[in-house]
Amino acid sequence: MIKNIYEKHYKVLLVIPILILVLAMFQIGIQYFQTGDFLNKGVSLKGGVTVNILDSKINNDLIEKNLKINFPNSDIEIKSLSQAGEKTGLVLKIDLDVNNDKDILKFKHLIIDTAPNLTLDDIEDNIQTISPSLGNSFFKTTFKSLIMAFIFMAIIVFYYFRTIIPSLNVILAAFSDIIVTLAIVNLMGIKISTAGIAAFLMLIGYSVDTDILLATKVLKTKKGTVLDRVYAAMKTGLMMSSTTFIAVLIALYFTISLEIKQIMSILLIGLIIDLIMTWIQNAGILRIYMETKTINTETKNNDQI
Amino acid sequence: MIKFKPIFKNIRVLVLLIFLILAIVSINPNPWREGVAIRTIATNSSANLAGMINPNPTLPPMAKERIIEINDKPISNIIDYHNLVDNLEINSTLKIATDKKLYYLVIRPKTETIVFDELIPKEIIEKIIDPKSNETINVTKTVMVNKTVTNILGPEEIGLEIYNAPTSNIRKGLDLQGGTRVLLEPEEQISNDEMTQLLESMKQRLNVYGLSDITVTQASNLPVYLGGSGKQYVLIEIAGASKQEVTELLSKQGKFEAKIGEKIVFIGGKDITYVCKDATCSGIDPQAGCQPNGNTWTCRFRFSIALTPEAAARQADITQKLDVISENGQEYLSEKLTLYLDNNQVDELRIGADLKGREATDIQISGSGSGTIQQEAMFNSLDQMKKLQTVLQTGSLPIKLNIANIETISPTLGEEFVENSLLIGFLAILGIGSNILLRYRNLKIAIPMTLTVISEIILLLGLASLIGWNLDLAAIAGIIIAVGTGVDNLIVITDEVLTGDIKEIYNWKERIKQGFNIIMGAYSTTVVAMIPLVFAGAGLLKGFAITTILGASFGVFIARPAYAAIIEIILKE
Repeated sequence: MIKNIYEKHYKVLLVIPILILVLAMFQIGIQYFQTGDFLNKGVSLKGGVTVNILDSKINNDLIEKNLKINFPNSDIEIKSLSQAGEKTGLVLKIDLDVNNDKDILKFKHLIIDTAPNLTLDDIEDNIQTISPSLGNSFFKTTFKSLIMAFIFMAIIVFYYFRTIIPSLNVILAAFSDIIVTLAIVNLMGIKISTAGIAAFLMLIGYSVDTDILLATKVLKTKKGTVLDRVYAAMKTGLMMSSTTFIAVLIALYFTISLEIKQIMSILLIGLIIDLIMTWIQNAGILRIYMETKTINTETKNNDQI
Repeated sequence: MIKFKPIFKNIRVLVLLIFLILAIVSINPNPWREGVAIRTIATNSSANLAGMINPNPTLPPMAKERIIEINDKPISNIIDYHNLVDNLEINSTLKIATDKKLYYLVIRPKTETIVFDELIPKEIIEKIIDPKSNETINVTKTVMVNKTVTNILGPEEIGLEIYNAPTSNIRKGLDLQGGTRVLLEPEEQISNDEMTQLLESMKQRLNVYGLSDITVTQASNLPVYLGGSGKQYVLIEIAGASKQEVTELLSKQGKFEAKIGEKIVFIGGKDITYVCKDATCSGIDPQAGCQPNGNTWTCRFRFSIALTPEAAARQADITQKLDVISENGQEYLSEKLTLYLDNNQVDELRIGADLKGREATDIQISGSGSGTIQQEAMFNSLDQMKKLQTVLQTGSLPIKLNIANIETISPTLGEEFVENSLLIGFLAILGIGSNILLRYRNLKIAIPMTLTVISEIILLLGLASLIGWNLDLAAIAGIIIAVGTGVDNLIVITDEVLTGDIKEIYNWKERIKQGFNIIMGAYSTTVVAMIPLVFAGAGLLKGFAITTILGASFGVFIARPAYAAIIEIILKE
């Protein structure tokens, strides 16, 4: 049944990735008009204070409540640190102005008051402060490098295939993957840190990998029908994705670093979207391209198939 | 049965093996290594006086001096060390054996001196030049000094900072070993020369304050003409230091004040145009020299500096209002010039009466250092002088630096990160290995593939140890990516080789070529995608980008060709 739809109705199936892409762009548009940013910036991109607290008995809700009362205008983020499902402590992020010593001191004392086991030294030893200007400059430069990375990737793809449609197709697949992943990350309310932007960069690499594999198989092998070649590529591609899934899931479940956790979450979403973008969108467009190409060559050159 | 001989004769496999051996030599792993390594030796501490010196920060971790025994008892970790060193008696001797030398430390008392207002007479010996014979003679005279009482507070710390001995040459970055990272942002754009000078001065300052294991590097975003912000940063990473120490250090820096009464005459940096450092106008004061003082020796140093005209005018203004007093036949002003470094008094100088109301730009700064023997006093005095010179001079940098980011990771968290990363690495390899076995159902493929993945990690770690670059969390993320794409590429090669009839030998080259074609396409896109990141984010993601690029390159050019050769040989049989 599914195989039949995939083989026969691939043109209709193309509606799915296109619809998802349009919805994702819509989400990002709304996000932009509502917040002025097209993503939820975390403290490392916005400036503020991050504290790691290694105390398994600490009460997240209590700290959050206390901080919300005292800093009603601040954006507060509290995440449990855990390893293999066991709580080891928590990470507290707040977008306070780091140059405001009074607020910072108040913030530190609030934590100690809520968690009697902690001393000021424990907090001082595990704190990170980022000035708003640095956060902003971090965001701008990493974002610019993301765009540059994308452009460089596109140039390499063009150089590699030297034909316009398949190259554009690979680039479109990578683009859709990033946009849709970003929209999903936004909807999940994940606050993106510098590491998160790095994850999007990794995604360019990963998503292009399978697209290059597919396009090479379809364009550069001569054996079998186009569909056979798609299946051959799919066999390899799904194996590639499955090993990556395993590694990403293991890292996601066991890591105690929130940065690595965020990288892995974004990669996981991106890899799932990549399946749709590679095997429905890219494969579908490639098949249409190959058909028109064969028709064209047939009309020009009757003895060549 | 697999024939191993042709595998080990293959040139690609040999290249991989040679690189692997080089990598392992460079990592030099020894998980059973015991003892504690020396991180820092405090200046003038008993350890320092016993001849122990600060380790060179560029030394590979395995080459760092390591304490093996204390008082003939073996030391295997930090706990052993603290058990032996924490309860010492004053004047006892501590025998420390390292892998390089044997040291005998004398435990000194920690004292506190209270100065009373009450004056008591004291005899001092002064060297003066006899005007008749033109020889130096000792004259004993009695002066009135403040009464002091010295209390012993307990044994003084021996001045060693240590950490568990490293078990390989892999340098752990701050995230993994604990420490403080400070990102400083110059208030305005500075030239490259100024930046170099700034970095030099920063290093000098940090060293003067006795912190080693510091890296001071310039970090900057992509220049404006390449689409970046062009912002410059100074990145300071101090291993093992906590945030308090560093902020104290940064706030400590350069706050030099010279006051008359409560009025500031000049401050370090801004008011100073020149600091003399050569022997003609700096060093031990030839007139005061070194003096025995009871059980201790005191040496006086002096060096000259030049003030700005504004500061000189301020001085003239202040001295104008002072009275002239006479003491021992010399005429002085009624108040002294007091020098403060970070609010601590460094020295007090009498001001000659002839300076009253004069705009003098050349000033002599002096101070003293003491020790139990003359040599030590001289050493301390010169050390103190260097400190003052540095502060007076480096304070004069053209730019103010703002702290843009301070990040502190406690050593416990760092250790947890290391253990955690190892666990994830192990489980990921296990997971990937099982998945490969499940898919190909052939140990002849699964084992070489898993070994290739592991060898790619070893190559990467080997290079990291060789060039002495610190592995942090970002680099670990980079390793994960490199391994991930590595496995992907191995799958591409395997599938290309397995398509069609395995016995069609003439097709082998063609198929492997096709596989590598896909790999090269994927490899180039990964590399170019990472290049912009090398220059972005103040270099904080540089580690990640470089690890990914190098890891992918090792894989594509060394490990994966060897893998292709191995399965070609194995499957052809």
